[in-house]
Amino acid sequence: MNWSLSPDWPGNFWLRLIIIAVVIIAYVMSSVIMFIWMERRVIARFQSRLGPNRAGPFGLLQAFADTVKILTKEDIIPTLADKLLFWIAPAIAFVPTLMIMAVIPLMNGLQLADLNVGVLYIAAVSAIASIGVFLSGMAGNNKYSLVGAIREIAQLISFEIPMVLAIAGLVIASGSMSVSGIIEAQNIPFILVQPLGFMIFIVAILAEINRTPFDLVEADSELTCGFNTEYSGMKFALLYLTEYSEAVVGSALIATFFLGGWRGPLLPGILWFAIKMFASFMFILWLRGTLPRLRIDQSMRLAWKGLLPLAFVNLFIIGLKSVFLPDLSLWISVPAYILISLILVMLWAMFMRKERQSFGG
Amino acid sequence: MTTSVDYNDLASQLQGQFGQGFTPAEDYVEVPCAFIAKAAEYMKNTLGFDYLGMVTAADYADHFEVIYQLQSIKTNSSALLKVRCPKDKPFVPSLANLWLGASLQEREVYDLFGIEFTEHPHLKRIVLWDGFKGYPLRKDFKGKAYGASD
Amino acid sequence: MEIEPFTAAEIERRESDGIEALRAASQHPIPDPDSWLDEEIKRNVMFTTVDAALNWARKTSLWPVTAFTACCTFEFIGASSARFDIARFGMEVLRASPRQADLLVCAGTLTWKMAPQIKRLYDQMAEPKWAIAMGACAISGGIFCDSYSVVPGYNHIVPIDVYIPGCPPRPETLLAGIEALRRKIAKESIRKPK
Repeated sequence: MNWSLSPDWPGNFWLRLIIIAVVIIAYVMSSVIMFIWMERRVIARFQSRLGPNRAGPFGLLQAFADTVKILTKEDIIPTLADKLLFWIAPAIAFVPTLMIMAVIPLMNGLQLADLNVGVLYIAAVSAIASIGVFLSGMAGNNKYSLVGAIREIAQLISFEIPMVLAIAGLVIASGSMSVSGIIEAQNIPFILVQPLGFMIFIVAILAEINRTPFDLVEADSELTCGFNTEYSGMKFALLYLTEYSEAVVGSALIATFFLGGWRGPLLPGILWFAIKMFASFMFILWLRGTLPRLRIDQSMRLAWKGLLPLAFVNLFIIGLKSVFLPDLSLWISVPAYILISLILVMLWAMFMRKERQSFGG
Repeated sequence: MTTSVDYNDLASQLQGQFGQGFTPAEDYVEVPCAFIAKAAEYMKNTLGFDYLGMVTAADYADHFEVIYQLQSIKTNSSALLKVRCPKDKPFVPSLANLWLGASLQEREVYDLFGIEFTEHPHLKRIVLWDGFKGYPLRKDFKGKAYGASD
Repeated sequence: MEIEPFTAAEIERRESDGIEALRAASQHPIPDPDSWLDEEIKRNVMFTTVDAALNWARKTSLWPVTAFTACCTFEFIGASSARFDIARFGMEVLRASPRQADLLVCAGTLTWKMAPQIKRLYDQMAEPKWAIAMGACAISGGIFCDSYSVVPGYNHIVPIDVYIPGCPPRPETLLAGIEALRRKIAKESIRKPK
């Protein structure tokens, strides 16, 4: 059965725009609610305890209770805060995540804007969300949030380059910069064809969305909530929402670029997309439940000395393959590249360890 | 296990260096108030007691006692020194020049007992706040349990 | 607004003045916010669905602030660990920033030197907020009640909603106290004076 939406359904441009925008917003919001529930329960199970289970069956209503409670809290604005920035920064942080979802197809044809430079658009817009986080840290007149904001920008800049280089590898392999073109080119998912790109992309996207092990931006033990220290009430609800909608977008990007998007047999596209997105988020949660947090200098060292050279090597190998061996059978190229990427990662790990020992960690 | 030194031995060594006044007891040596800084320096540099374990004090009926514990890391032994000072003139030489850690501990003793350490670089209250009146760990401090208000 | 430079002595003097002022002002305990027990008010106030929904949301998602003073903290940590797990009540999100938290768990002995900071922390919390006094030292100063440096109970500094006895109270006792607070929150109304 071919589940697809034609590019000009339902005929009227504005009607299509409004309907698909509403669908995307509903999808993101419901994913955020599910992700909040999943995070609390799954991390709890990782730590041998139960999670929230009093708020409705299996604790499913916990996210609603949190949201209603936060929205009805008193809204505090510090006296010396920069009022305009304080008010607008959470919005600047939240809106770009919805903007990225506009170019990601939830189903065949269910895409708000089929840009033919969708990849470039995603790389550009994902940086604006971090600027919103930085502004919210700066606007509060609080030294802890300022330090959190500075760390955020440092991390963003460091990990943006390897992420874009990993995506560039996808562009070469699929021959098109549009997101639907990349999905169409994935007869087998790109996670097998470009394992090194996948590893670099996962690490980089974790750092972009400030998840463990890169959540030093809001490290409780170091920074008393970092950039959102001074926020309460509805502005804090927006920042809390941003954290999870960035996770939604990150999982959606992994599902789209490397796992094949909405493609899959039998089930409708949107169901496959949801399955892949939730699977990526489970992996992200697994990392959160297992790994400790990196320091800012450790994470930047990883970005500049670890990921960036690997990303260049990845791009080089993919370029070589597509110029000199374009018709190499998948049975050879997939295992060969997996082997090469494992060897490269191990070499880099040894290199980084030697270098860290000489610097004293 | 850290062993105590033989206090008779220690007292005779100190007496040989500084003269009379060092009385050994079963588990400490009593040092005259004027000699404590010099005796501690001698023990640190010559006898090898390079680690100051603690500085504390006790309030007896007619005098204060300041108690020092010195330890030697090389020989894994410890020595206890006690210094008496009169209640109306509680002045004791400070060991802050020898061990930096002594400065915090002596400030605590000053804060709670009122014993002043001469030549201390920064003698002021450390665990209580500046405006606190009185020295709480003295036996004659009247607290709430004894009928004082607040 | 320009920042005046302080010397260390000036900072210490200001802190000491603040402590003495707070000590003078806190000689009598703050009356407990127990107007919700008042029969008059109960008869005059009708519970609406809005009240029920808000109260349910507020009691299901109580976020403590990470500010604990002494040994009862470890019983709180034990209660938030695997065996007793306050995460079941939605409380495992401990927010370090007081502006996003709604519960101050007063765990441990409070000294006069720390009291201005706890008062500042409580004032920075956004309404609606609650406070639980956990352990004997938080209720009345405990075994240190006559000491020269101990505040005889947190209720001299912040208004307390629930008192949990124990030294330290076991995690099950803490959970019973949290349950009592949840029952109290369920009875609040947005129209009643708090």
